[in-house]
Amino acid sequence: MSISQLLAQYGEEYLAALLTTWKLTAICFLAAFVIGILITVMRVSPIRPLRIFAELYVQIFRNIPGASLLILLVYALPYLNILLSYFICVTIAASLIPAAFCSEYLMAGINTIAPGQIEAARSLGMTFSQTIRRVVIPQALRSSVLPLTNLLTATMLTTALASQVPMNPLDLAGLVSHINTHAVGGVMAFLISAALYCATAVVIGQIGTRIDQKVRILR
Amino acid sequence: MNETREPIISLRHVDKHFGALHVLKAINLDVYKGEVVVVIGPSGSGKSTLCRTINRLETIDSGEILFEGKPLPLEGKELAALRSHIGMVFQSFNLFAHMSILDNVTLGPVDVLHTPKKEAREEARRLLDRVGVLSQESKVPAQLSGGQQQRAAIARSLAMHPKVMLFDEPTSALDPEMIGEVLDVMTTLAADGMTMVVVTHEMNFARRVASRVIFMDSGSIVEEAAPDAFFTNPRTERARSFLQSIHGH
Ligand SMILES: Nc1ncnc2c1ncn2[C@@H]1O[C@H](COP(=O)(O)OP(=O)(O)OP(=O)(O)O)[C@@H](O)[C@H]1O
Ligand SMILES: [Mg+2]
Repeated sequence: MSISQLLAQYGEEYLAALLTTWKLTAICFLAAFVIGILITVMRVSPIRPLRIFAELYVQIFRNIPGASLLILLVYALPYLNILLSYFICVTIAASLIPAAFCSEYLMAGINTIAPGQIEAARSLGMTFSQTIRRVVIPQALRSSVLPLTNLLTATMLTTALASQVPMNPLDLAGLVSHINTHAVGGVMAFLISAALYCATAVVIGQIGTRIDQKVRILR
Repeated sequence: MNETREPIISLRHVDKHFGALHVLKAINLDVYKGEVVVVIGPSGSGKSTLCRTINRLETIDSGEILFEGKPLPLEGKELAALRSHIGMVFQSFNLFAHMSILDNVTLGPVDVLHTPKKEAREEARRLLDRVGVLSQESKVPAQLSGGQQQRAAIARSLAMHPKVMLFDEPTSALDPEMIGEVLDVMTTLAADGMTMVVVTHEMNFARRVASRVIFMDSGSIVEEAAPDAFFTNPRTERARSFLQSIHGH
């Protein structure tokens, strides 16, 4: 089928799949962001077990392939009597992995903060959590806008894992498999999805660059 | 100086090592309210470390440090609360890079002292005016000169209404033409009765403003004297040669 035939026949499905991919990406990125911040706070905390846990987390989830993690969730969890929908399994896999990278970027951001500023905060009588909230995390975030933007795009691409399981609703990658099992969409079906992924990534990149210019810290 | 009063800061037989390096050796020092104690000595003699033990940015190995007669809390909320009473001004200013000058000054009062925001802002503006950088209030630190940053950092400390202020070489990172403006602010502070411990190489400042001069070498307090006596007639050979090496420049 040609692209126009595909669009005529599956136009609505593509739109729905695009929205599903966006929704999945937004949920996963938000979760990854929150987990990433928590893990990062643990990594700089004075409590050793927390630091060890957080380091382990990062090492594991930075290095595990998304597909393996998804398979693990889908096939192993039922043995523990945990039954989750495919959507939830995909969400978890596509959150836990980016969270590890999020923490890496935030740590890199933290390393740009002059240690003297932390001492200044402590000298003012700020507690550990105040120092983290008011001095460390805000600066780490501002200096990692571009890596986090890339992470958002990477998270979107990770959600394509959904095509490995019969997730309902279909995302962009899942729709390609769906079309190819029910009709002869071939490369064209893939190209449409690819174009939509790319277009989204370009928009994300533009927004990220703008935000970075706005919040970047003068040094 | 009123020796019958209790000292505000008291170090008793304080020892501190960095690994094998003995950086503070049996330090005894009392600082009384309203005093300006100037600490001088060669590089590596332990001046910064001494200064930093007073608000426990550095821990000590043995001995004790009392603030208003009470030992420094070991950690946690009490230590944080104690630090809020001790202002600290650093060689490298250490203003918060992501905040405006005004926010730098209000952060402590709002977060630590729970001062209402509006009140904190008014007071911050008063202090920024007092140190002469009010016109810079909405800029971020990197947009200010070193001298302006250091004066803003002093305002940030003052906003906490500290009972004592520690200065660790506050002018050493400054271009010569900016040193005077910072020393002027410090001189005014001293005249207003602020209790200060000042590590500095500015001998003229020490002479004019110090109540007492402490000379340190290799982790020990070698000499402690009134500024006139110290500068005109140091008792120890080490102080004499240190002063000569400085005047030699
Ligand atoms: N965190 C640290 N770890 C190990 N050694 C340190 C540390 N901080 C300082 N030292 C060492 O302790 C000694 C005293 O340092 P300190 O900074 O107190 O000296 P100082 O008198 O302030 O010198 P300067 O005039 O150069 O600032 C020096 O030999 C220094 O190298
Ligand atoms: Mg020093």
